[in-house]
Parts: sequence; structure tokens; C-alpha cells
Amino acid sequence: MTASDAARVPKRCNGKQLHAVVSTAAGWLQAYAPEVDALNVYPVPDGDTGSNMSQTLRAAVEEGAACGETDAGRYAAILAHGALMGARGNSGVILSQLLRGFARPLASRPTFSPADLAEALQEASATAYRGVAKPVEGTVLTVARMAAEGAMRAVTERAEFRHVLDGAVDAARVALAETQNQLPVLRQAGVVDAGGRGYLLILEGALRYLQGKSVLAPEPVPSPNGARAGATAHARLEHAGTSAYGYCTEFLIAGRDLEEESVRAQLAPLGDSLLVVGDGEILRVHIHTDDPGRALSFAGGLGRLRKVKIDDMQAQHEEFAAEVEPLPRPQDGRGGNRLESLPIGVVAAATGPGFARLLSSLGARVVPGGQTMNPSTEQFLAAIEACPQSTVIVLPNNKNVISTAQQAAGLTEKIVHVIGTATTPQGIAALLTMRLNDSPATMVEAMGEAARQVRTAELTSAVREVEIDGLRVHRGDLLGLLDGTVVVAGHDTGLVACEVLDLMPVEEYEMITVYPGAEVGVEAVEGLMAVLGERYPRITIEQVEGGQPHYQFILSVE
Amino acid sequence: MDDQPIELDRRPGRIEVSPAAIARATSRVVLECYGVVGIADRKLKHGKAELLDDQLYDHGIKVAIQGEQIVVDVYVVVEYGTRISEVAHNIMNAVRDTLQRMLGFPAIIVNINIQGLRISV
Repeated sequence: MTASDAARVPKRCNGKQLHAVVSTAAGWLQAYAPEVDALNVYPVPDGDTGSNMSQTLRAAVEEGAACGETDAGRYAAILAHGALMGARGNSGVILSQLLRGFARPLASRPTFSPADLAEALQEASATAYRGVAKPVEGTVLTVARMAAEGAMRAVTERAEFRHVLDGAVDAARVALAETQNQLPVLRQAGVVDAGGRGYLLILEGALRYLQGKSVLAPEPVPSPNGARAGATAHARLEHAGTSAYGYCTEFLIAGRDLEEESVRAQLAPLGDSLLVVGDGEILRVHIHTDDPGRALSFAGGLGRLRKVKIDDMQAQHEEFAAEVEPLPRPQDGRGGNRLESLPIGVVAAATGPGFARLLSSLGARVVPGGQTMNPSTEQFLAAIEACPQSTVIVLPNNKNVISTAQQAAGLTEKIVHVIGTATTPQGIAALLTMRLNDSPATMVEAMGEAARQVRTAELTSAVREVEIDGLRVHRGDLLGLLDGTVVVAGHDTGLVACEVLDLMPVEEYEMITVYPGAEVGVEAVEGLMAVLGERYPRITIEQVEGGQPHYQFILSVE
Repeated sequence: MDDQPIELDRRPGRIEVSPAAIARATSRVVLECYGVVGIADRKLKHGKAELLDDQLYDHGIKVAIQGEQIVVDVYVVVEYGTRISEVAHNIMNAVRDTLQRMLGFPAIIVNINIQGLRISV
């Protein structure tokens, strides 16, 4: 046992130590959340299990950090409460139940032993199972149960926390691999269960902490009056807005015998929010710094750099703030918005800065959202309440967001009409038909009708290999979606786009609007415009900036 | 329950689905949703929710046609201590997605009624 172990692995664990363990686990989960998101049964990039679990655990840890509780039992209860309030999505609800069960045997114990840890993991699994009428095996439930059994097996007189967790992690790994054999839909898609993977990451993160392989620099402690109640929008805003450093810098170092600890020590003086994760051959680095160049040139000396990404956080902050509050406030004396004086307010979800600007220029109050980061009920509710009007029309602009919008509609005293727009172009079409003199009922009907007139083609890359409806898709293949359903796979942007358009068939329509995504270069856009122009000479083709993530192109046809 | 079959399509031949079939499919999805303890009778018994046996779910799932839409009302008992709004939301999505895929019919409205909460020890 080394000195660092002794410091990190006491014989008994109190609330403060538990907080340190869980914070690290949350960081580890967060770092891998995009990978978990990609474990989607459907190959389009709209999985959100990883993000949901990460945000739920983050909400729990923030609640825990704010309380500063040293009593382990009380801390675990606060953690469970935080997760309950911050639960997002199915996987988030399950995680909150796991934490609720975890807290149960620890209640009224100021400190706990390794054997108690195993018992808590056992109760976590049992509680999670009780939360569903027909538990499905091959999911996070199975992984949690096997992990608990592994932990129980590892309990001996002399077992330390890390031995118990090690037993849990090993068993969870086996259980996770087994999920493919338990659920045919997973095997078909060639993935393991996403929720199970998320739970394994939490256990792994905790174990890494105990083994002295911490993955996170200490987090900035949230100010107690910061009121970080759940809403990720605000969390994101604060994150970008309050960092003392200007650039969020991320990259991978591929090399040999890379030492996490020394890399961390070298980079730490350059900024904050430092994250160094990985093994000897590849390290993932995330840092907020004013001098990305120095971080990169240091890292470049250790190995090859890959996936370098530098974001200007100040710009992000301003852009994001603009998205949240697109309308000039009345007291600014600027006004002049065509819908401000209407009897009806409009709230619209938008993915990407281009779409956000477009919708807000048409008078909508924009709720930022998108694939993998769906807006929450709270965000919709806040936007609805922020409208000066007592009647509000909501445009969810995504199939998966419609029910969230409806939920928000049920929570306000205002009269809210949710128009079931499944894509952003549908929302834009609906917004364009709003007329000043119509009654609300007529207006809602006309907007719904306008939305239905629009067909949407979307182009995205498959996040992994899969077979759907007899279509063999490889990772990185281009997928063409027609109104939200994958219909074509291929390699050439122009060909895939035309195939989707021909299915409509596009000849029956008058206009195509091309919205290039955030990651698309000018040449690709010009290339596609040329192909479309040549192929459909009789149709008007327009190009408008979309800026959406994940989808290279969104084409709206009307 | 309304037993009139639901017409999905007229071209080139007619396809009809009985509300009972839709209710059955719904029950299977609902029971696998996390947080759902069981399907409940839509009438409360002495002011309390009554859990239904697996085979008797039809008092807890109502399928109807309103205009051009299929409206499914689901009555459930939910585990105490879960975030109810999130659980309900998940049931809605799961039922709607399954029915849309199964029936190839887009206009499906799912309403969730939480009849009661179960408090496990």
C-alpha cells in the first residue's frame, strides 16, 4: 500500500470522502458521455443516455457539494435527492433510484466500512429493480445487480474499499459484455447496453479515485448562492461565462509511456478545469486556458496530437446568451419585433446558431436544443413564462422534443398550443405563415398545415456499423433521412441527397432550401449546390446557414 | 373500450386494427417502462388506485379515435421516489414510438394518468 493509497482509502469513509469519490466518478462519466451516447440502437447521432446519466449525476454531486456534509449517511441521502430532482430521461430516473437505494443502508451511519459499501451497492440494485413492473434483463439493471454480487464476493475481513469496488467493476464488465446476448436488438446493432456502460463508468471512476488514478483536477466549488438548480442551460452558461480563461482546448495525445500524472502537473499552471484521462498510449486532455498554443506545443512533444479542438468560450457565452434571450427587452427601447405586439407569443427549439438566428429573426423566443442535448421541460417553461403574451405557440422542431414541449404546456397557466413540428424547417414554415389578424385557432391550424407541407431531408454520418431494414451501414457512412427516417446509405453527399429527394419526389415541389451544418466546409456546400442545380433545373434552390451539429446538411423542400 | 376497428390505410387495400390489439401492445411497452409498478384501473376503488393483473389491462388502457388521431390513455401506478414527470414522459415516448413503428401511423397522442404511487420498503 503506497502513501497515496493510505490517504485516499481510509478504513472508514465519511461524507467528505464519499463526495470526493462520487465527484471523480461523475467526471469520468462525463468524459465518456459522448461515447455512451453513441451506443444507440439506431445509428443516427441522437442517443442521449450518456448525457442524461452524466447530467443526472452532475446534479446530484452539485447538490452534495453545496451542502458540505461530512456525515456519510446524510451525504448519501442528499446525493439521492439531487439525482431525483435532476433526473433526465429513462436512464437518469434509473440512476436516481440506484442512488436512492445506495443511500438507504447508509442512513444514520456517519462513516461506513467496505462491507457497508457492498451492502449499499446491493440495495441500490434491489431498489432499482423494484421501480419497474417487468424488469428487462440485459440492461443497466442487470449490470447493477451483477456489480453488487461482485462487490459482495469481494468482502473479506481485510478487504479495503478498492478491493470491494474492484470486485464490482470486474463483475459489471462481464455483465455488460453479456447484455449483447440477452437483448437481440443490441446484438443486431452491435452495441452493448448504454445505461449499463454508464453505470460501469461510474464504478470505474470511483475505483480510479481509490487507486490514486484521479482523473479530474479539483472542480471549482459552486458558490452557495449560485442556485444551480438543475437547468443545464444555466450550468452551461455559467460554465462558459465564469471561467477565468478564454479558450476551451481539447485534444488527444497518442504516444508511448505517457504519464497522466506528469502531463497533468505540466499543464496545470496553464489554466483550469484540467482533465487528463487515458492510458499509456493515448491521453485525452481538456483544459481552459488563455494560451492554447503553449498547451499544444508541450503536448506535441510527447506524441502525435489528434482531434484538436479549440473553442473561444467568451464567444460561446455570448452566442449562448443570445440564444436564450433573443428578443430585445422592452425597456431597451429597441422593440421593433414583428411579433412582439402580437396577442400570441412563439417559443421555438433550435439546434445550431444559424437556425437560432433565423427563428429569432422571425420573432420566436429560442430554446437551444438539439440531438443529444434536448431542451428540458424547465427550459420550455421558462421561455413560455418569459413571453409577455398570455397565449403562446410552441414549435418543438424535433420529433423527440414534442412531448417535452407538451409537458411544459401542461405546467403553465398560459394558454399554450404545441404544434408538432418534427424538424426545424417545418418550424420555420409554420412561423412564416403567422398572420397578424388571425384568431389563435385559425393561426394554429394554418401553422400546422404549413408545417405538414414541408418535407425534410437530412444527411448525417453513421456513428457505428449496423444493419437496418436490410441496409448495411458502416461507421462513417453517409446516411440520408427522409422526414426523420433513414432511407439511404452511401458515401457521396450529392448522390445520397438526390436519392432522398427523389423519394419525395422532389419534382412535385417548388423550392429546396439547403442548410449546411457546423462542420461542413465551403467546398462541400458549393459542391452540393452545383449537383442539385444541375439535377433539378426547374426547382429554386436556396442556401441558408443552419450551423447544426452532427447533420452535415438539412434540406427543406416545399 | 370502443371496439370499432381503426382504419390505417385505404390504398391499395384497407387495413384495420382493433383497439384491443393496440391496447395489448401498449400494455407490454408500459410495463417495461422504468418507474411503472403496474397498470391501474381507470376507476379508483374507494378512492384508491387498483393494480390490474397482466391480462386485465384493458380497464387501464383506453384507445380511441379523435378526428385523425389515435388517442391512447394509460392509467398507471408509479414507484414512489422517482421523478414522476420524467417517468410519465418516458412512457409517452416509448408508447408513441412503438405504436408509430408498429402501425406506420404518425398521429398518436398518448396521455398518462398516474392513479397512485407505491411506496416500497
